[in-house]
Amino acid sequence: MNIHTYEKVWLIGSMVLIVGFIVTVTYGAVGLGIAMVDDSEETIEPTELDEDERFAEPRVEQVGEDEYEAYVVAQTFMFSPDPIEIPAGSEVTFHATSRDVIHSFSVAGTNINTMVIPGEVATMTAEFDEPGEYGVVCNEYCGSGHHNMEGELHVVPEDEFDMTELEIEADDEVETGDEATIEVDVENRMLEALETTVTLEIGDEALSESVTVDGSETETTTFTIDAADLGEGDHDWTVTVDDYEDGGTLTVADELEEDDDDE
Amino acid sequence: MRISKAGLLVVLALLAPLLVELRTVLSWVNVELTVLETGLVGAVLVVAILVWAFLPENGNGKTTEGDASSEN
Amino acid sequence: MMTMSNAYIEEFPAEAKVVRTAFYSAFLALALGGVFGIVQTLHRTGYYRFIDSADYYTVLTAHGVFLVISFTIFFLVGVFTWAVTTSLDRGLEDLRFTWGWYGLMAIGITLSGVAILAGFTDATDISASVLFTFYAPLQGHPMFYLGLVLFVVGTWLAGADWFRSWWAWKQENPDERIPLPTFMVLTTMLMWYIATLGVAAAILLFLLPWSLGLIDSVNPLLTRTLFWFFGHPVVYFWLMPAYMMWYVMLPKVSGGKLFSDPLARVVFVLFLILSVPTGIHHQYLDPGIAEGFKFIAMTNTMFLLLPSLLTAFTVVASMEHGARQRGGKGYFGWLKALPWRDPVFTGMALAGLMFAAAGFSGMINAGMNINYLVHNTFWVVGHFHLTVGTAVALTFMAVTYWFLPQITGKELWSRSVALGQVVLWFVGMTFMSNAMHRAGLLGVPRRTAEPQYEGFEFEAAVGSMGELQAQIALGGVLLTLSLVLFFANVFGTALNGRSDDLPANEYADALSGPEDAPLVLDNLKLWTGIAIVLVIFAYTFPLLSIIDRGGLLGPEIIPLPVFIESPALLVGAVEQLTAGTLESIRPVLEVSR
Repeated sequence: MNIHTYEKVWLIGSMVLIVGFIVTVTYGAVGLGIAMVDDSEETIEPTELDEDERFAEPRVEQVGEDEYEAYVVAQTFMFSPDPIEIPAGSEVTFHATSRDVIHSFSVAGTNINTMVIPGEVATMTAEFDEPGEYGVVCNEYCGSGHHNMEGELHVVPEDEFDMTELEIEADDEVETGDEATIEVDVENRMLEALETTVTLEIGDEALSESVTVDGSETETTTFTIDAADLGEGDHDWTVTVDDYEDGGTLTVADELEEDDDDE
Repeated sequence: MRISKAGLLVVLALLAPLLVELRTVLSWVNVELTVLETGLVGAVLVVAILVWAFLPENGNGKTTEGDASSEN
Repeated sequence: MMTMSNAYIEEFPAEAKVVRTAFYSAFLALALGGVFGIVQTLHRTGYYRFIDSADYYTVLTAHGVFLVISFTIFFLVGVFTWAVTTSLDRGLEDLRFTWGWYGLMAIGITLSGVAILAGFTDATDISASVLFTFYAPLQGHPMFYLGLVLFVVGTWLAGADWFRSWWAWKQENPDERIPLPTFMVLTTMLMWYIATLGVAAAILLFLLPWSLGLIDSVNPLLTRTLFWFFGHPVVYFWLMPAYMMWYVMLPKVSGGKLFSDPLARVVFVLFLILSVPTGIHHQYLDPGIAEGFKFIAMTNTMFLLLPSLLTAFTVVASMEHGARQRGGKGYFGWLKALPWRDPVFTGMALAGLMFAAAGFSGMINAGMNINYLVHNTFWVVGHFHLTVGTAVALTFMAVTYWFLPQITGKELWSRSVALGQVVLWFVGMTFMSNAMHRAGLLGVPRRTAEPQYEGFEFEAAVGSMGELQAQIALGGVLLTLSLVLFFANVFGTALNGRSDDLPANEYADALSGPEDAPLVLDNLKLWTGIAIVLVIFAYTFPLLSIIDRGGLLGPEIIPLPVFIESPALLVGAVEQLTAGTLESIRPVLEVSR
């Protein structure tokens, strides 16, 4: 077969180029450690996500000093959780699955991009060095509202980041001679202990209590208020823990019609 | 003409990818061009090419297709 | 002195009618696809939205299916009919059979097309807004899937038609090499037979029965993988006829000969063996497929660059040869001696040039871990508008200017309009595709009616999003104008009178001819065997793994939208929706007391 010299040169050049590309990609995989989304997770039932410990409550969880896991559910036409909050300087492994059709989980402007297929769980680990806010889009057509499917990823400065959950049980009504209780559960979902203050503002009173909540623990603070101090009427109250706040109204009446102990 | 009309048309068409990529390439060396500036560069190039194309050569005003002209 | 023209229509009048019909079917698809294209461009960029964004996806499905299934493949069967009859110098074996497969294709694409277009109206429940990839659990009406099946079967029979011609010719010419155009047809069809096995399995075994309610569920990852088994080689089904034109038409139009026939055969053999075992490179980001399989697909894909790189050499070398025959001199001066006035030449040359750029963006796509940055973004759309949208479509339009006279017996209506058309396409595509690539790098998604989000903005490195949108809209408008010019010529030519002065029906000779090609190249059985082995290596384990993990019919899934009302499906759908709604309002529930 007659191969012109120039053609031979071109052929060799092409092979060098091709091998070069393969080497570059291999370096990215082996040298830089960029892993591809793969089959390391078990399959899952899309109709039974609520029975899966990870996806029944989509959330971010801390599993090591700077290591987090984010369990994300994609569905028509939203992501949960939204926004996803993680601290700067952390390594986050995203686990994503779909409740219905094929979606994607794609953080715009980054290479965090994966298909989210019902029946499969996609995992991807990424490092976040700097704080910032990113948009999350679905870039796989998923139906008529596909263009509305978006979420947010917030990378919060380390010193501002916490995973505190607040749950409050409070009396709605109290008789004038009685005491009302407001019970505040502070759950610290991080691994490190949290030192903070629980503050209750009611009427013109402010009550504070310092608490230390160990990692993955919940501390309960109970405030007791004398109805006589407040007087008759409706009193708005607010409980504040760091940046979290919740409120309600306590009604003080001379005589309660029923012995309600509403929470 | 130094180049056939069709050849001129193609040369001008090739300005499109050149200009469109020029902005990106320049940004790699920290030169930022606005759309307007890019358009101006384009207009200048178009004029330059037209002038070159219509410049008579060897005293003749005509070049027919297929004729070899001097090396560029 | 007037000479009797041996135009194709004189030599093969009945076959010319087949080619004509196939081309006109292709052009109808092109027109519809083009209209939808400009609607999309203006909608996405926000310049003119007159449809509901929900309907955008119906438009997009039609744009995709009409252009890359109907337009490209009807054009292919026309070109291949011409190629086989011309190079073997014999008519088709049985015209009834030929019209039979054409009819099957026509009925098939009409069924699918109607199913898609019915999505625009509420008068029926029929729709198939599932896009060209129809990924489950998205579900189309059964008519959509059935239509595709008929269309593909039609193409299988078309291949059989051409193999028949070749076998008949071989009986009478036992010692001759397969003429290059026929060789190209046969290798392309062999690749197609292997490739369509994937999509045929996906539709016949799973999607069609599922849409009819005969089975309850499908495995989304499995059907998606079977689609891409077909989805990558289909792009070569589009490209190979264009390559054929560059090999057998372009050298002649350039004034010379094909540089090397043997290397052209090598290129087509490489496509036959390498096109299919690469499909997983469209699934680099899929969960459920091991990284090893993705790596194999990546290396196969990188090697698949070789035939295209070889083509680049041969095409340029042939053009240079032709230019020098025309008197061109100098290192680059020969470029001026090329027949730029001829839209057939200029169109193919510009298409080839644009394909080089497309190749580079394709290499990025193929780069497994680099793919994270571009997958499903607008970059990909920029890429394939350069490849199928220009390398293929522009070549097809350019050679139409040569074919139309050959198959109608009429002179082309206007060469200058044709020249303007091809140049305008090139310029329009430059603007549009460049902006698409750049937008994709910012993360702008593809397949989206409104790439403007409430919670965040895309940040452009050079210029702004507004500029990118404007550039895309500008490019789209220029492309639409180019299409108008194209159709002006199609209609104008059809309305012309018959001509006696048409060029003869022929194609390029080769400098290094088939006698220089090793005999083994013509051993189609060998290459097909190797192709099958490579496919088995690339796909057996991934497919078995997917089936093992998720089951042949997959987990319980809810199709979207629901067509067949089976109680189980309805209950399931309600459950899913409730769970989803509860999830979404849970934060609201927690805050309020």
